[in-house]
Formats: sequence, C-alpha cells, structure tokens
Amino acid sequence: MEKRSIVVSADIVQVIVDHLSELSAGSVSEYVETVLRTALMEAGYIPPYSPEEEQQVENRLRDLGYLE
Amino acid sequence: MTKLALIGLDCADPDLLRELLPQLPTISALVSEGSFARLRSVDPPITIPAWMSMMTGTDPGALGVYGFRNRADYSYTGLRVTTSAAFRAETVWDTLGRHGLRSILLGIPGTYPPKPVRGVLVSGFLAPGTDAAYTYPTALKDEIAAVVGEYVLDVRGFRTDNKAWLIDELREMTKKRFKLARHLVTAHDWDLFAMVEIGTDRIHHGLWSHYDKAHRKYDPDSPFHDAIPDYYRLIDAELAQLLDAMPADTRVMIVSDHGAQRMDGGIGINEWLIQEGYLTLREYPDKPTRIGDLIAAKQVDWSRTAAWGEGGYYGRVFLNVTGREPEGIVSPRDYVRVRDELTDAITAIPDETGAAIGTRVFRPEELYPAVNGIPPDLFVYFGDLRWRSIGTIGWNRIHFHENDTGPDDANHAPYGILISRPGDSHDERSILDVKGMILEHFGLGPKEK
Repeated sequence: MEKRSIVVSADIVQVIVDHLSELSAGSVSEYVETVLRTALMEAGYIPPYSPEEEQQVENRLRDLGYLE
Repeated sequence: MTKLALIGLDCADPDLLRELLPQLPTISALVSEGSFARLRSVDPPITIPAWMSMMTGTDPGALGVYGFRNRADYSYTGLRVTTSAAFRAETVWDTLGRHGLRSILLGIPGTYPPKPVRGVLVSGFLAPGTDAAYTYPTALKDEIAAVVGEYVLDVRGFRTDNKAWLIDELREMTKKRFKLARHLVTAHDWDLFAMVEIGTDRIHHGLWSHYDKAHRKYDPDSPFHDAIPDYYRLIDAELAQLLDAMPADTRVMIVSDHGAQRMDGGIGINEWLIQEGYLTLREYPDKPTRIGDLIAAKQVDWSRTAAWGEGGYYGRVFLNVTGREPEGIVSPRDYVRVRDELTDAITAIPDETGAAIGTRVFRPEELYPAVNGIPPDLFVYFGDLRWRSIGTIGWNRIHFHENDTGPDDANHAPYGILISRPGDSHDERSILDVKGMILEHFGLGPKEK
C-alpha cells in the first residue's frame, strides 16, 4: 500500500514513543495508522471491507447458514 | 492479582456438556473445583451480537447490532456485514486497558478489523482471510505464521455431506488455534486471556443428527455417532495443555454465546409472505433465488408489498412503511395493526401436517429497553428455534427439511454455559453479567461495568 508522510506535533509523537509498549504497537506509524483507520471506519468514511472482501465474507456466511 | 482466562466455546450447550462431562477430565475438574451455570444468551442468540454483548455487557438493542448483517439505512439493499466498526460500547479489554491491564484476544467474533488494544488481538472468523490485516499489532501475523503455519480462521464449508472431511478440518483448525493460544500466553504479557473456538458451533451444525437420537435424521448405523463427543475430548485435551501453560492460580471461565438444539426443519418466510399476499413479485422465479437477488433485479413489486423477510437461524421481517422505505405502502398509522396481524399469523404457521410448532415472534421494543440502529420490525423464532428461516423463493412450498444451502443439523438455543473456577454462586447467569464478573475479578467497581 502506498504511504505518504504527514506532519504530527512532536509532543504527540513523543507520548506515543514513550508508551509504545503499553499501546502494543510496533511503531509510531503503525499506531497512528490503526487509530486513524479505526476512527475513519467508525465515522463511515472508509469501509471495513473492500467490495470483493464483503462479497467473500457474505458468501462464507451464507455457506455457514447465517444468511439465506 | 491473578490472571483470568476466558475460554469461549461457541454454541456449547449446557445439557450436552453435562452429558459429556464424564468423558472430559479437564472440564470436569474445573466444575468440581468451581461451578457450572447456565448462561442466558441475548435475543437473538446469534454469534456476533451474543459475543459482543458478553464482551461489552450491553444488549443488542443498545449496541444496535441484530445479526451478522444489519440495515445500514432504510433502502431495500442496505444490509451490511457487521464488523468491529459497529461496536461503540466499551469492551472489557478496553476497560482493563484504561486501568493498565493487558489482554490477549484470540478469535473473538466482531473484532475484525482489529482496533488498537493494550495487548494483542487475533480477529475472529469474519476476517476475509489471513492475507488481510487480521491482527493487532500487524507484526503478530508473522509470529502466528511462524508458530502454526497457515492460521485457520474458520472451517471452510461445514455444510457438506462429506462428514469425514469436515471432522478432519475441524480438528486441524482447533489444534492450530490452541497451539497458538499456548504460544500467546507464554510469549506475551497478559492479565486477561480471552479466546473463542468456533469449531464447537461448526460440529454441532454439521453433525448433530448423528448424535441426537431425537433428531428426525438420526441414523443408528451412522459411523459418526461419536464425532461430537470425540471433538469435545479433543477440546478437553487441548484445554488441559493450555491451562498447564498458565499460572496455576489463573481464574478460569469457560463460556458460550448460546446453546444448541436439533433442527426440525425450515419455514420459507418469503414463500409464506407471498402466499398470504404480503409480498408480491413481478415474476415468480423458476428456480430458488435469494430475496436479495430478486430485490437487486427489481423483481419485487414494492407497490404491492407490505413486508419481506430474511432467512437464517432466526427470521427477520421488515415492513414496507410509507415515508420510511423508498416505496413504502404501509402507512405509519397502520404500522402497529399490520405488525400485530403478521405476528399472529406467523405464530400460527403449523408444520406440514397442520401441527403447531411453537413459533415465537418478538417486536424489538419487547426485547430491549433501548433500540438503536435499524432493527427488523419482527424477530421470528420458528418452532422456538427448532426450525430455521428460509429466505429464498422459487420452491412453491413453505416447509423444508433440508436447507437451501446444504445440510445443517442444529439450530441455536437460548442458554449457553458458564463454568468458573473458583466457583460462582449462581445457577444461572446472563451473558450480560460476564463483563462485570471479569472487572470484579480485577477489582474494578460497578461503575466500570
């Protein structure tokens, strides 16, 4: 996946660096990306699945008997 | 403070487990040293809302999640697969995380896509595959691959007549999950370990008729009589190894999201709605066709449709309401009358011999103090969940003794299990109590529940 650099206040980055272990993230970038992805997903701006993935999951749920 | 291990066995049924206890030394020991209670599931007793209700202490009405798919809007095509994005109530691991406690989460339905957690998370079976980012942190994927090779989120296609294959697949999946569990509890710091094994659900659906003598398909000569007990013996042995990998004073809770019962058949909800004049198609299909496909193909005549339904382990009925649905015809002032009329008529649907089957129909406001999101207008438990809801159309009948998508022997039942060591003093608990019990173990008060 293509990555782009963004600017984040140094104090926020430092807090993440200081608490990386508690936040269980491998890096500042990973933590920031997961938090942003979650927030955007919950706000409905990005879908949890791609259309292909959603179809794949629906088909599996149908095979499992949850949908008919 | 001691650790707490919450072991979820999806669909584990209290009556079945009591029957099998003499063959399960590890679980039997936990019961002898602790307690065994029935755990009342939520309505509907369906995997996704039930597990996340347990983990948040919040019922499906407040969560706004009523099944694997929920209406995102009032359009006719607005059903969307439920993901972690739908769950805004605080999970038990988020509460613990706020108090500095770490969790290992493995296979819990409703956790894909993974959100950040103080600990590690392996998503449940709704992850599209292991190619997707199904763990938090992402590097955990590589660790999993190094431990178990290809991780199996779920068995592929349990609705098969090839039972020998299914049993092998299930056992392989379960062994890998427990192997991973043993690795996680020894390689990572944790206070709460919570996992869900989905294989118990799959083996019930796939092989219940080979075990339950009361099942209409029970065959005394089946070579698979012992498949379910065998699988539970595997779970018991794996559990023993997992507990050995934990400190001896770990509090252990074994829970399920709902129970299981034999499935007697299916009722074609949309076939019945057509027969009774509630649902009108432009052209009746010449082969079984899903209602969603008929809607997409504009084959539903909404100007003459008051209600339509969705199939699954329970039935969902949606009314076509003026000003709510795009082409609604049930006026808001007639809504209660039509819904009550449907409730009475659906409750009275008999089996093919004319005998009553004990269907129960619920309105959302009867089930929940708060109703969020877009619930179905009616929840239907055909035969009190001994019959499932068949949504496809094109059969020219409403009664089924086989599914439209393959063999399935069992349906869900409202009571699951709660085994606890040390013991809990209740004979019966609600699934909504579990989060509070976990928080109490960690010394967190009622306001944190």
